[in-house]
Amino acid sequence: MSLVVDHLFKRFGSVVALDDLAFEVQAGQVFGFLGANGAGKTTTMRITLGVLEADAGRVTWRGIESHRLPRSTWGYLPEERGLYPRMRVLDQLVFFAGLQGVPGERARREAMAWLRRFRAEDLADRRAEQLSKGNQQKIQFIAATLHDPQVLLMDEPFTGLDPVNVMLLREAFLELRDRGRTVIFSTHQMEVAEALCEAVAIVDRGKMVVGGTLREVKRATGRRMVRIAVEGDHRLPWLSAVPGTRVIQAGMDRSTVELDVGVEPDEVLAAAVGAGARVRHFEIADPSLEQIFIDFVGRPANEETHLATLEPVAGAESAA
Amino acid sequence: MTHEAPTGRGATARNVGLVAGREYTERVKSRAFVFSTLLMVGLAVVIALIPLAFRVMERATVTRIAVAAPDAALADRTVSILDAFLNASADGTTGGPKPFVFEVMPAPQDAVDAVADAQVAGAVIVERTADGGLDFQAVTIGGLGQDKLSLLQLGAFSVGVLDWTAANPNATNPFVPPAFAVIDAGAASAGGDGAVDTSEYASRRIVGIVFVVLLFLTLVFYGLWVASGVVAEKASRVMELLISAASAPQLVLGKILGIGLAGLTQVTMILVPALVMMVLSGQVGNAMLGEDPGAATSLAGLSPGLIVAFLVYFVLGFALYAALYAGAGSLLSRAEDLQIIALPLSIPAIAGYLPAVLALSGSSAGFIRFASYVPLWSPFVMMARLSIGRVEPWELALSLGLLIATVPLVTLLAIRVYRAGVLMYGQPPTVRTFLRAVRGS
Repeated sequence: MSLVVDHLFKRFGSVVALDDLAFEVQAGQVFGFLGANGAGKTTTMRITLGVLEADAGRVTWRGIESHRLPRSTWGYLPEERGLYPRMRVLDQLVFFAGLQGVPGERARREAMAWLRRFRAEDLADRRAEQLSKGNQQKIQFIAATLHDPQVLLMDEPFTGLDPVNVMLLREAFLELRDRGRTVIFSTHQMEVAEALCEAVAIVDRGKMVVGGTLREVKRATGRRMVRIAVEGDHRLPWLSAVPGTRVIQAGMDRSTVELDVGVEPDEVLAAAVGAGARVRHFEIADPSLEQIFIDFVGRPANEETHLATLEPVAGAESAA
Repeated sequence: MTHEAPTGRGATARNVGLVAGREYTERVKSRAFVFSTLLMVGLAVVIALIPLAFRVMERATVTRIAVAAPDAALADRTVSILDAFLNASADGTTGGPKPFVFEVMPAPQDAVDAVADAQVAGAVIVERTADGGLDFQAVTIGGLGQDKLSLLQLGAFSVGVLDWTAANPNATNPFVPPAFAVIDAGAASAGGDGAVDTSEYASRRIVGIVFVVLLFLTLVFYGLWVASGVVAEKASRVMELLISAASAPQLVLGKILGIGLAGLTQVTMILVPALVMMVLSGQVGNAMLGEDPGAATSLAGLSPGLIVAFLVYFVLGFALYAALYAGAGSLLSRAEDLQIIALPLSIPAIAGYLPAVLALSGSSAGFIRFASYVPLWSPFVMMARLSIGRVEPWELALSLGLLIATVPLVTLLAIRVYRAGVLMYGQPPTVRTFLRAVRGS
C-alpha cells in the first residue's frame, strides 16, 4: 500500500541524474522529497508520471508499475509554472480536469468550490495572463487536484509564494492527507518540510542520502540538541566543562546547544546547576532538518541563499 | 472517492477531442483568425469578380465598323457575313456581346468621314462593277490590325460567293459559311474524358492553379500554426501540466485535428463566398451584358470530383505536414526559434509546388508523374494533374495509397520526437537534438 521508488537510474547524455535512487512513501502520508537543485527530484517525479522513462529501475504504486496506471492516479504540480495565457481560468480548470476524465459540469462546480476555498473566486473569469504569480500558482494547484488524484506530486510548491499563500497551501495539503490522499512534494526549504512532513527522503546528486519518518531521520545522526534558558549570562560560560558540546545558536531568551554522539543531555543540566546557573527552561530536542541536511550532504540545501565561502583576497597576506 | 478513470481507447478519443476542441475554439476565436479570414474572403470575392470585370471591359472595347453598299440588300448581306466571320467565337457558338459592331452608312463618303472622325475603327465600302462583280475597299487609319483585315478579306470573298449564288438561282445548294473551331492538340490527347476544347482546357488550368496555390498556402500556413501552437505551450510552460494529464499521442493528434478543422473552416469560409460570387457574377453578367457561353467556362473545369479530390488531398496532406510541424515545433523552446525551422520545413512543400506548376502547363514528364506519387509532393502535383485531367486510375490509387500509408508512419515518428522534445529546453533545434529526441533520451 505504498509508492515504491525502486532503484532508479537515469542519465542525460554524460550527466547522471539518478543513481540507484530508492525510497518508499506510505499511502496517506505527506512526504518531503528534499534536495538541492539538480538533485534529481524533478526527474524522479517525471518518471513516476510516466512522462520520462528510467534507464533502469521502476516506480510502483500499490504494487502496480506507475506507467500502467491511469494518468488520473496522479496530480502533478510542475516546478515550471504555466497556464494558457489567454484562456479564462475556469475554462482552463475544466479543460485540465476533462483530460483526467472529470465531466464538465462537475469540474466547473468543483473548480468554483476550490476557488472559493482559496478566496479566489473572482479569478474565475480572468485570463491567466492577468493573474499574479501567486494566483497562477493557486490555479495550477487546483488544476493538479481537481480530479481528486490518489497521489499528488508537487514540485517545489512553496517556491515564490508569499507567507499567506504558503499557509493556505499547507492547510490544503493537510486536508488532502486527511481525505486519505498521498502528498509528495519536493523542496529545498527545510523549515517547510519540517513543519509539514511525516516522512522525508534527502537526495543528493541522484542518490538517496537518508530517508524515513521525520523522527528517524532526525535521529539518524545520533546527535541531539538541548535548548536551555538561564538567568544571567546567556553565553553559557560553564558549558566548557562538558566536552563534546557547542552553542550553535545563542539567544537572550534561550540558546541551542549541540551535543556530540555519546554526550548525555543530563551532563549539560548537571553542569549548569553545578555552576550555579538558574535554569528556567530545559528541553531535549532533535537537530533541525536543516542541520541534518548539512550533516549528510555537506552543504545547505538552499546553498544559493547563503554567501559563498570567503576567498582570500590576493595581496591580503603580504599586507599582513 | 476518486472518479472512475477511463483508460485505453475511450480516454484517448475523449482527450483527443478535448485537445482538438480547445485548439479549434482558441484559433477560431482569435483576432488573427477573424481578420485574416475577412481579408481573404474579400480578396477571394474580388478575384471571383475579375471575369465579370473583364466582360465589362471587353464590352467597352467594341470595334465599330461602317459599311456602305449601293443597295440595302447587299449592305445587309455584307453585314451578316462579316458579323459571322469576325464575331465567331472559337467554339463556333454565337451570341453574347459581340466584339465587332457594324453600322450601315447611306453613302461611301459618310463611311470615310466616320473613319476620319474616329467614330468607327474602319469602313468597308462595297461597289458593284460593270460586269456585276463586287469591289471591296477597307478604309482605316490604323484602327484595324492585319489580322482583322485578313478576316475582312475572307468576309469579302464570302459576300462575293453569296452574291454570285443569289444572282444564279440554278445553284441547288446555297452557300453556307463553313463552321470553324480551334482544337488544342495537347488538350485533345488528354487521357480519360476524351477531347477537351481550348476554353475548357484553359479553365481547367485556372482551377488547377487555384487548387495548387490553395493547397500550398494552407498546408504550409496551417502547418506553421501547429508548430507555433506547440512552441507556445512549451514557452508558457503549460506543457508540463499538459503532458502529465494527457499522453503525447493524444496531444499531437488533438492538436492536428483541432487546427486542421480550424483551417478547413477558414478555407470553407473563403471558398464558399468566392464560388457563390463567381456563379452570381456570371448570372449578373448575363443579365447585364447578355448571354456569353465563353464567360461561363471559368467554372467549367471545376467538377464535383475535383472538389472531393481537393478535400482528400487537403486532409491527408495536412495530416502529413502537420505531423512534421508538430515534431519540429516540439524541439523548440521559444517562439523566436520558429523562424529557424520555418524555411527548412517549407522546402519539401516548395519542391512539390514546382513540378505541380509544370504539370499545370501540360507537361507529363517522367519526374512529374513520379512526384505525383511521392507523399510529401503528391497533394500538389497530383492535384495539378487531376485538374488538367491526365491521370490513369492506377496512378491516383498509388498516390493516395502511399500518402495514406505515410501519414501514420510520420505521425508516429512525430509523436516520438514530441514526447522527448517537449521536455527539452534551451537546446538548439539541430539534427543532433532531433536524433536524440527520436531515440527518446
